[in-house]
Amino acid sequence: MRTLSSPRMPAVLVSLCVLLAACGTQQGTPPGASAPASDGDSPAPTAGAAAEPDELLVLEWSGYEEEDFWTDFASAHPDTEVSFEFGDTDANILALMQGGSQADIFHFYTGWQQFYVDGSLVQEIDTSKLENWDKVPAEYQELGQIDGKQYFVPWDWGFTSILYNTDEVDEVTSWDALFNEEYAGHISMWNDGPGAVAVSSYINGWDETNLTDDQLAQIEDDWIKQKPLNSFYWTGEYVDLCPAVQDGTVWVAYAWQGCYATALAAGDPVAYANPEEGRNSWVGLYGISAESDSPELALEFLDMKLAEASCGNAVTLFYYGCANGDVMAAIDDPILIEAFGINDPSILESTNFTPLVTEEQREAWTGLWERVQAE
Amino acid sequence: MLGRRGTLPLLAGPPLLWLAFLFVAPLVMIAAFSLREGSGAVGASEAWAPSTEHYQDVLGTPAFMRLLGVSVLMALGIAGLATVLAYPVAYFLTFRAESRAPFYLTLLLIPFAVSYLLRVMAWKLMLGPEGGINSLLTTLGVTDEPIQLLLYSRPAVIITLVYVWIPFAALPIYAAMQRIDRHHLEAAADLGAGPWARFWRVTVPLSLPGALATFFMVFIPTVGEYVTPALVGGADGIMYGNIILGFFTRSANWPLGSAMAMIMLVLTLVLVAVGLRLINVRRAST
Repeated sequence: MRTLSSPRMPAVLVSLCVLLAACGTQQGTPPGASAPASDGDSPAPTAGAAAEPDELLVLEWSGYEEEDFWTDFASAHPDTEVSFEFGDTDANILALMQGGSQADIFHFYTGWQQFYVDGSLVQEIDTSKLENWDKVPAEYQELGQIDGKQYFVPWDWGFTSILYNTDEVDEVTSWDALFNEEYAGHISMWNDGPGAVAVSSYINGWDETNLTDDQLAQIEDDWIKQKPLNSFYWTGEYVDLCPAVQDGTVWVAYAWQGCYATALAAGDPVAYANPEEGRNSWVGLYGISAESDSPELALEFLDMKLAEASCGNAVTLFYYGCANGDVMAAIDDPILIEAFGINDPSILESTNFTPLVTEEQREAWTGLWERVQAE
Repeated sequence: MLGRRGTLPLLAGPPLLWLAFLFVAPLVMIAAFSLREGSGAVGASEAWAPSTEHYQDVLGTPAFMRLLGVSVLMALGIAGLATVLAYPVAYFLTFRAESRAPFYLTLLLIPFAVSYLLRVMAWKLMLGPEGGINSLLTTLGVTDEPIQLLLYSRPAVIITLVYVWIPFAALPIYAAMQRIDRHHLEAAADLGAGPWARFWRVTVPLSLPGALATFFMVFIPTVGEYVTPALVGGADGIMYGNIILGFFTRSANWPLGSAMAMIMLVLTLVLVAVGLRLINVRRAST
């Protein structure tokens, strides 16, 4: 069973610490919401890219198609047609790639790297062609490596924890708030098996990479019992979770900090828990499809996603962390400082990082979740 | 000029090709996937070994079978409700609207100008805690606070689907009623039948084929429905189609999802066949 390699775990920790420490100590102008594309910084299209079809298909998560997320590329390539297809979980993204998606670029999260390499779905990246690569902390860069080769470009990152309504719910100190019958009908869990298994593992103090059959059966049973407590299982953070949190339908939710920051900025009575079992943390990665007809253009797209304006928009508009260390170091917005836990030096010590998932685990965890859904 | 032998392939060819490529071929692929060993998403070019493991998995998982049963019952209820509610609409269009029938028919079809997804989303707003129904109930003093269960529940799925289907459901009944020879009604009246007797003894039997067509037209797709339950059903309103979707998307297990789809397809066909058989037996006996 493959797990996150021991050098990688502290690497992520150190990386996040570096970024957060930088955010806490440096003051500067945050990347503007309407920041222009990095005019002079944008590299000119390469000769290789010019010979390729002037179009890109990106397999994305809903919301990431907003041009704010790739504004540098849009400015540098106004005539390039960038289109998107969507997945809503890592398993979904993988299924689409395995099923023959024509996407040039795909976006997924830590834990699923090995599947793409083993399935020959991704091509190696020549980082010497990435002008913004040196702005990415080395520990982040390593997340995109398998067997010493760089296959993926890290981009967004953040936490998963419990988002709760402070008017309706007492302070949440544990992930077991998702199982609290007192909040029946006002809870919302993410519609994802691996996420559910992770939460149960945190609560029970189990190693999620080494669960026994009995433990998996216990997890399934717990989530079946939890099912009636949910208002609904959410699939899109901004599509269904945030509106329900903000209109008071949902009081307790498994959530990423983006929704928390959105609700906080709107003045809603919300808090983002620091569970005693620790938050979860994730890093988003981009890969270039092995079948891409436009690998050079795809590489430029990823490079420009790391540029200041695009990364800055991810932080200021959507409240996600970004792999550009300079952008993160410039954060001084109190809401973002709160969302990223920048003022809490202990936050990362108790954070659970998403491990690499094996095929056996993927099948077991997703199957478990479908059975929970069907009950 | 082309003779009969020449025109038949010309006329039947395009639709047959359409069906072959866009209906039969995908169905064969789904059937093939369902017999494939292992899990994951399946590239069409990959070699595969036949196996019935996924059928055994589905049939051996009580939760899946229970949900299939629930979905069939929901579909029966929704088809019945939609047919019953659409019937008066079709009756009005046929026998009462007279020269304004085209206008009312247009009104009936206007919802189709709006995307299905938007119509379902509109119901999400209507049924929500601050939606039209809850606002009305609280304003009238019927309830002190919004009823949370209106949205994200099985009833929400049923209400929304019945609404979505009614305009569709009225059309086959309307077509059947238009074919009723008015002389039958006049003859019944001449023989002393009152309005109710004419309705029950003439209109209903002669429009029954349209009503049955409506029922099955609603029932068959509703068994595998997944969009509406995903939007307004919440955790409790999930249907069998949502689990199939789950295996094709979030769980990346196409073979298992295919086996679930094939089981649903076979069950639906069996139920329709049994239903049609029962109806024929009854009609034959009368």
